[in-house]
Amino acid sequence: MTEGLNPDDAPAADRAMAEAGAWLSRLGAGEPSAEYGLVFDAWLAASPDNRAAYGRALALLQDFDARAGDVLARLDARAAAPAPRRTLSGRPAPRRRRVGAGWWAAGFGAALAAGLAVVVMPPAIIHPASAQAYATAKGQHQRVTLADGSLIDLDAETQLRVRFQGSERRVALVEGQAIFDVVHDASRPFVVEAGGRLVRDVGTQFDVRARGGQLTVTVARGRVEVTPQAPGSAAAQGQDVLLGPGQRFELDAPTAAPQLSAVDPQETFSWRSGRLVYRARPLGEVVADLNRQFVEQITIADPELAKLPITGVIVLDNPRAVMSRLSLLLPIRTVPSDKGLMLLRK
Amino acid sequence: MALASSGPSQQRAGDNPLLAAFLEKRENLVLFLAARLRSMATAEDLAQDLYLKVAAVQPGAEVRAPVALLYRMATNLLVDHLRSGQRGARRDAQWRLDTRATIGGLDVVSEPAADEALIAQERVRQLAEAVAALPPQMGRAFRLHKLEGMSQAQTAQAMGVSQKMIEQHVAAAIRRLAERLRA
Repeated sequence: MTEGLNPDDAPAADRAMAEAGAWLSRLGAGEPSAEYGLVFDAWLAASPDNRAAYGRALALLQDFDARAGDVLARLDARAAAPAPRRTLSGRPAPRRRRVGAGWWAAGFGAALAAGLAVVVMPPAIIHPASAQAYATAKGQHQRVTLADGSLIDLDAETQLRVRFQGSERRVALVEGQAIFDVVHDASRPFVVEAGGRLVRDVGTQFDVRARGGQLTVTVARGRVEVTPQAPGSAAAQGQDVLLGPGQRFELDAPTAAPQLSAVDPQETFSWRSGRLVYRARPLGEVVADLNRQFVEQITIADPELAKLPITGVIVLDNPRAVMSRLSLLLPIRTVPSDKGLMLLRK
Repeated sequence: MALASSGPSQQRAGDNPLLAAFLEKRENLVLFLAARLRSMATAEDLAQDLYLKVAAVQPGAEVRAPVALLYRMATNLLVDHLRSGQRGARRDAQWRLDTRATIGGLDVVSEPAADEALIAQERVRQLAEAVAALPPQMGRAFRLHKLEGMSQAQTAQAMGVSQKMIEQHVAAAIRRLAERLRA
């Protein structure tokens, strides 16, 4: 009997994979049972095809498992596909996400589909050699197209000024967070002033956040140089730093020592798509971010509560939905307050 | 020098038919456990627990159907593991832990580098396309049960079909996905 032993025998391999699928489906669900043990054992032993097919299908399921959140986000984005990718507004009917263990895994697509409450302003064109100021309010995002084609995405509650001079393109990030997509021009460097530092791009995409005296610079593509704005000043502590893709520069205060870390830039840039990603950040910080994204304000009654660490992805649909999902992870509950919501210990 | 046979670790397989069967079937048992655990590492851990139990069986004890007994013992360990682990387990794969290192004296939290992130993104794209290409009912069953983590019973309820039907949908989905994603 030779059937099933020939590797070129496609039907045999197909049959092995069909059976492997059936075994994985059966053994992978419900109350575990020893009932199938001997049959399974005999099936594995019956042909090397069976063992190979089973191993391959098992590895594939593990791959799906490890990436389940991202695959779901991708499927959602795909379902919402025909619309242009970067438009945050004008999305039809909000889609309900499941609430539960995997809520935070929802990604870009879900956030887009969730009808993010932001206003997207029409692109503004800046004339060279003129200064122009931009500011966004709570819950507002704005995209600015500069005269050279570079793009700036402003997060909520952000102020910046753009000045194009002959030899330099300069942006002052007064407060807030923005993603810079810079068209490289060796003869006209692109410089961002923020948190007492100069962030000089070398043709790239990067995110700068300057809020409450803290500064972070995260690079997605290309290279960026971070230097003290005024050499010799207190802020000049530390050397010039050259950042590459996936690297982050962080200052807790203008005079603090900088920290470098390697990060997934997708996470830092996700706010643009209505998603906030945290790794062990205190609830207080998360709430401060949420309060920029929503007009309805969240307050924390107990300062101890503000220290609870959060790791996960927050999809910005509306503050009540966000808080009800958070309350599944943390011992918190919400009550209405005069400003919006108040968080209490459960 | 003669070695005295004392304690389970010195036991030779010949004295213990269950141990002999275990050594022969170990890999199959791991594959059996892994279907449910979806983690080879955890399946290996349970197989190790099983080994300790098997090795503790008195030499000469009469075991009629050692292979059937091994699968029963493995199933019991699996049930215990699922009961104790269910709470904490919830897809913690997503909650990656940071590991610390230093670069040029500065503290560095290491996470996937940008090029790894790109490769991962491409893989996510392939996986999502493969799921999207499944027939609708099959795709929905796979999505709810395998990606969103619903139980087979919950999936059956959500789709208004029998649990047996979900099992068949998922089986067929795994086959198609494996064929499409043959690398």
